[in-house]
Amino acid sequence: MNSPTARPRVSEPDMPDRSRPGDGGAPQARRVPSAPAIAPLVQRAPAAKDAVAVTAPAVKVEIRNINFFYGKSQALHNISLPLHDRRVTAFIGPSGCGKSTLLRILNRIYELYPGQVATGEVYLDGTNILAPGLDLNRLRAKIGMVFQKPTPFPMSIHDNIAFGIRLYEKLPNSELDDRIESALRRAALWDEVKDKLRDSGLGLSGGQQQRLCIARAIAVEPEVLLLDEPASALDPISTQRIEELIAELKADYCIAIVTHNMQQAARSSDYTAFLYLGELIEFDETERIFTHPQMRRTEDYITGRFG
Amino acid sequence: MPADIAIERSETTRRHGAFGDIVFRTLTQFFALLVLLVLGGVILSLISGAWPALQRFGFGFLVGQAWNPVTENFGALAPVYGTLVTSAIAMLIGIPVAFGVALFITELCPNWLKRPLSTMIELLAAIPSIIYGIWGLFVLAPFVQEHIEPLLIDTLGNVPGVGMLFAGPPLGIGVLTAGFILAVMVLPFISSVMRDVFETVPAVLRESTYALGATTTEVVWKVVLPFTRVGVFGGILLGLGRALGETMAVTFVIGNSHHIHASILQPGTTISAALANEFTEAVGDIYLSSLMALGLILFVITFIVLALAKLLLIKLERQAGKVT
Amino acid sequence: MEIYSRRRLTNWLVIGLSVLATAFGLLWLILVLSTLLINGIGAITPSLFAEMTPPPGSSGGLLNAIAGSLAMTAIATLVGTPTGILAGTFLAEYARGSWLGEVVRFVNDILLSAPSIIVGLFVYEVMVVQMGHFSAWAGAMALAIITIPVVVRTTEDMLRLVPSALREAAAALGAPRWKVIVMVTYRAALQGMLTGVLLAVARVSGETAPLLFTALNNQFWSNDLNGPMANLPVVIFQFAMSPYADWQVLAWGGALLITATILILNISARMLAAWSSFKQ
Repeated sequence: MNSPTARPRVSEPDMPDRSRPGDGGAPQARRVPSAPAIAPLVQRAPAAKDAVAVTAPAVKVEIRNINFFYGKSQALHNISLPLHDRRVTAFIGPSGCGKSTLLRILNRIYELYPGQVATGEVYLDGTNILAPGLDLNRLRAKIGMVFQKPTPFPMSIHDNIAFGIRLYEKLPNSELDDRIESALRRAALWDEVKDKLRDSGLGLSGGQQQRLCIARAIAVEPEVLLLDEPASALDPISTQRIEELIAELKADYCIAIVTHNMQQAARSSDYTAFLYLGELIEFDETERIFTHPQMRRTEDYITGRFG
Repeated sequence: MPADIAIERSETTRRHGAFGDIVFRTLTQFFALLVLLVLGGVILSLISGAWPALQRFGFGFLVGQAWNPVTENFGALAPVYGTLVTSAIAMLIGIPVAFGVALFITELCPNWLKRPLSTMIELLAAIPSIIYGIWGLFVLAPFVQEHIEPLLIDTLGNVPGVGMLFAGPPLGIGVLTAGFILAVMVLPFISSVMRDVFETVPAVLRESTYALGATTTEVVWKVVLPFTRVGVFGGILLGLGRALGETMAVTFVIGNSHHIHASILQPGTTISAALANEFTEAVGDIYLSSLMALGLILFVITFIVLALAKLLLIKLERQAGKVT
Repeated sequence: MEIYSRRRLTNWLVIGLSVLATAFGLLWLILVLSTLLINGIGAITPSLFAEMTPPPGSSGGLLNAIAGSLAMTAIATLVGTPTGILAGTFLAEYARGSWLGEVVRFVNDILLSAPSIIVGLFVYEVMVVQMGHFSAWAGAMALAIITIPVVVRTTEDMLRLVPSALREAAAALGAPRWKVIVMVTYRAALQGMLTGVLLAVARVSGETAPLLFTALNNQFWSNDLNGPMANLPVVIFQFAMSPYADWQVLAWGGALLITATILILNISARMLAAWSSFKQ
């Protein structure tokens, strides 16, 4: 279901209206490479599971007129944008632009801290999740989050993942173990830890810990995944593995990722939102933003003139 | 999680886990309030216990020197005087020594020695008061009686003006010995606070002063101390609060005499020593109540000192928050 | 040049004095501990642990005192630890920045350093007078009141050290607040909190003043928590101040026992703290 989204740009009449970016393997006609370093990266390999529909991807989360305040100071100004299902949407922008703040509104994790207020609406499948009276804990089961620094709980790997599952379901041990295995497999961690499930999660390497956190988040079977700079604390090899993982997970979840690494955004995402000083400057399909940004500021950021 | 579970709250479904949240929060809040209740209880019970004596003697209780269980005439002056004098001696000796220890550990000590040395000094604080007491009685007091006090009497005892402070037969036990043991007991507290605040001085500040050619003493005296003076003062007050309330160590060596002597070589008593010695044998309501009144006075004094110390240390934390 | 040499002299003087001061502090530690060892080791015999406190002039042991101390310390720990942990949890998890939290913390720190004899007076008024007699319960309560501020302080400090990202990760899975605290935050701070409990027990083991007029003392073995109960510190007090030689020997033995216990507890607490920070 495609709800009309307000795009802060004029549509391009001479570009074919592609509803599935990354479609097929034919190299796209590139306009003037105003972002020469990035453009080649946007070239996509055929998506593995793209055999399905050619209709526009459904909008899973609709962010509308969001304003955010840390006490008296306003951090986000009237943000509206869609998050498409089974796609990756990247939030990019210089430090302090509000991208993490925006992400943290989506699962209302900011409410742990008094003095932080959000106004506006966020619709998940049509329901406004910022409405009062909502069951926050169940919301957070539907919208999972992975943080910048890996945060394994001080428990065994098994219990780390079981923790989330046990919050909602009473499963017999065998079924629990199956769920845990499935989560670890989907997080590409199973082979490395299958023999040491009872060992502490703290004993894993950084990259493994982060995959554990991803496994933990997907074990509760969410529909949306929020990733806050998931690879920024990791070495390049682990970063690559996380990016590959995201590409696989995309098939099952609506993913929003905050990243300060533009190349990562260009590689991994389908849509990109560029934020600056708390405002949404531009939102578009990743290819278009990186090859062909509409706003001056976007272009400046992408070409590295600031940030 | 099954897709059909709605996230809106209906009239019947409670927020998942809300009940547990309320119970747990109430539980923790209850026990936190209990802490306040204990303080309130202490104040109330002391006042109620002291009331008969305060009623009987009024303000004169504070300045009365008499302590006569037979005629039931009691006055707090001797214990209060002893408390203040022993604590003063403890501070006089303890503060410079604690400063020296803190200086050594933060500026002079090689890195590998810092940890073990600090631990050992802190062990001084772990030794209970009663151990200091029996050690004081059996080891220190005889030593002081045989060596220190005769020396003091012969030298300082003859100096005009000061002489009367060091008069009298050398008994070993007395105000001086008690003050001395108190000094050893409060030393670790003061020195540990000093050490902590000394270490908050930014390295750049110290290094740039050294780079100017300042000696260690000058760095500490002119830069570190002024920077940390609030914390240092707080630490001193903390030590004072401890010294004022110390019981067992003092009880063993103070001599338990309800008389005020000018000489610190003579026996005396402190509030806590009087309580420790006499409470269980006190007969008669006024006697008991007078002892309670002593306790009330001690509580008020230590409360003021400790509250001041705490306020200073809070102010220090706020400052640090602004600086860093 | 004169200024310079004066400065150097002052510096060496101060350095020398601070070395002396440190040596001074260490000296007393060594003196006290060695005296304790020398005078007390002779009393550490099997009979110390087998026999009761004797009347003056006869031999005996400290069994009833040891048992009484163990019992009252155990009760105090059982009462004081959960109270302190829960109160500390309130300060760290619910009351950061609130005025109530500030007040409780303030009062707690005052109780932490308050004279323990005052606590004894308080429990005397509230329990002994009401009950009409001295009791081990009263003694245990007095010790509990001394335990609580220590545990509150260390619990709050340790919980504050747990990174907020860990709490957020648990909350992001949808865990209700109390589960975040109990199942994740406590676990992360466990070693630190345990250290706090050990330190509290160490502190309480040597306290005499609060027991003086609550549990009093008892020459005999007693199973009755409702009556006066023998305990090591008060026995040491009584025996040491007495003129009887065999009582004094027992006092030294008891003193050595207490000090050894406290030092072991302190060192264990430090090792636990070091081990847990090493693990991270």
